[in-house]
Amino acid sequence: MVRLLSLKKLLLVYFVMSTGALLWLILNFGLFCHASSKEEETLLTKTKELRHWEERLRRRERDLQKKPQEDASLPTIYAIMPTHTRHVQKAELTRLAQTFLHVKNFHWILVEDSDSQTDLVTRFLATCGIKHTHLNIKTPENYQLKETDPNWLKPRGVEQRNAGLQWLRENLDVGRDKGVVYFADDDNTYSLQLFDEMRHTRGVSVWPVGLVGGMRFERPVVEHGKVVRWYTYWRPERPFAIDMAGFAVNLQLILQKPQAKFELRVRRGYLESSLLEHLVTMEELEPLADNCTKVLVWHTRTEKPKMKQENYLIQAGRPSDPRIEV
Amino acid sequence: MVRLLSLKKLLLVYFVMSTGALLWLILNFGLFCHASSKEEETLLTKTKELRHWEERLRRRERDLQKKPQEDASLPTIYAIMPTHTRHVQKAELTRLAQTFLHVKNFHWILVEDSDSQTDLVTRFLATCGIKHTHLNIKTPENYQLKETDPNWLKPRGVEQRNVGLQWLRENLDVGRDKGVVYFADDDNTYSLQLFDEMRHTHGVSVWPVGLVGGMRFERPVVEHGKVVRWYTYWRPERPFAIDMAGFAVNLQLILENPQAKFELRVRRGYLESSLLEHLVTMDELEPLADNCTKVLVWHTRTEKPKMKQENYLIQAGRPSDPRIEV
Repeated sequence: MVRLLSLKKLLLVYFVMSTGALLWLILNFGLFCHASSKEEETLLTKTKELRHWEERLRRRERDLQKKPQEDASLPTIYAIMPTHTRHVQKAELTRLAQTFLHVKNFHWILVEDSDSQTDLVTRFLATCGIKHTHLNIKTPENYQLKETDPNWLKPRGVEQRNAGLQWLRENLDVGRDKGVVYFADDDNTYSLQLFDEMRHTRGVSVWPVGLVGGMRFERPVVEHGKVVRWYTYWRPERPFAIDMAGFAVNLQLILQKPQAKFELRVRRGYLESSLLEHLVTMEELEPLADNCTKVLVWHTRTEKPKMKQENYLIQAGRPSDPRIEV
Repeated sequence: MVRLLSLKKLLLVYFVMSTGALLWLILNFGLFCHASSKEEETLLTKTKELRHWEERLRRRERDLQKKPQEDASLPTIYAIMPTHTRHVQKAELTRLAQTFLHVKNFHWILVEDSDSQTDLVTRFLATCGIKHTHLNIKTPENYQLKETDPNWLKPRGVEQRNVGLQWLRENLDVGRDKGVVYFADDDNTYSLQLFDEMRHTHGVSVWPVGLVGGMRFERPVVEHGKVVRWYTYWRPERPFAIDMAGFAVNLQLILENPQAKFELRVRRGYLESSLLEHLVTMDELEPLADNCTKVLVWHTRTEKPKMKQENYLIQAGRPSDPRIEV
């Protein structure tokens, strides 16, 4: 009986202890499970975070490789630039390229005044690092300036600019492509802020131009955010008394109005108006550059280099080595 | 007795089952622990990976921000440039800045020809984004060009270049600082390859210059890797018949020869020689630009803009708004 009681007691004690242990285990197991699932959660979160960082890193690496000139969301600036062969041409294109390399989404449309594309320009464009289109069209004989003509005698670059407009109309889509068209001369000087300003032009935007028209600057006069007249000495009554360098046109406006182009037969000073009349009224113009009070582009001109000694050499039958490109 | 037996049996069964269960739990607990510790391991690994990606990302972001103009291992190009106030000055500086922004380790030493530093240049340099030093010194009265003087009549920029040299000697260390000194005029045109070429000059390096001396180009004539004479029309017998834009000097050579500077009182065309004679012989010159057969810099000059209409306005007491900086 005693033994039985002891055994029973033993078993009872065991029963109690084991139940307790089991219960404890079950409770803590829940905890462990719980903890484990917590760790699982943390793990999931960490993994998600990790993927997030991987994606950011990949994007940053793409940014680093991406030429700084491209950003799909920005409207493209199409710069239509007539050019012609002369001694300073390569120098001009060289410094222009250095400017344009700083401008995002820039498309250089270079139009040579010639029957065929020259080697110099072709070679130059091939390595300039800027998105470009190379065109050419020769100014008709009777419209060409002679050596001794003053530079304002005949309108220059007209056919070339129109060829640029034609290219845009043949290659870009109405309603789809976003851009701004700017007529840039190859001897002007452009600040980088100018391109920032013109980029979001909706219709036609305007701004001051330095060192033009015999003045320090010419500019649109702005009142209450609208252009009301032109600050210029010569013929301020012109519809658009503004230099070629002083305005930009939204690409869609160009594409929607295929008849808008520059006129060859035009009174002196009316070249810009001959295009803009088709596109916009003075009232609709968008004034930029701080209500047209800042000069962000200059109508610089480069001196024609003296070639006196070169000519002596040529006459003596010993011209400078033509294989050395200047 | 039967009841007791049943109880005993019950308890025995319970004993067996509970022991079994406990054992099972213990074994699986190990598994769970084990699994949990596996998850912990995975967690630790993932966390480490995460930190690794975070670090890579941070490094990449620093790369993106780092100005591409700095690279501690490259010798610095010190461009000493005289400048003077005139209408086209801001335009010239603007396009020069766009060029120099592409050049690594570039230090622009701009020396105004004036008694005091002008607001225009001070403001310009403050935002140009290029490492610079702003100096000024006025050309003595009798050495100044008059309006009607041809540009070659008196040597120009002499005092300004010498001040630039002085600054180098006062601020950089013989035997320690690595660099190249280039005398750049503010109306020339520079290709980017030019700076790559000149950067590793040991003594004095030379190369062709376009559109100078009345020729398409002037250049050193190189035979067997050495300069033997000068290809130029005018006075090719000069010790260094080369334009200011056509050579560069190792910084240490400048620092080691403190007496070497440009002479004010010098025959026309001998300005460059007046410095180089102190520094090097023709035989020691380092020809660059493909044995001096490539034109990488042009001696362009910018036209003085006509101010006829501006002058009319001034005479009429209505000058253009001087608050608009050009």
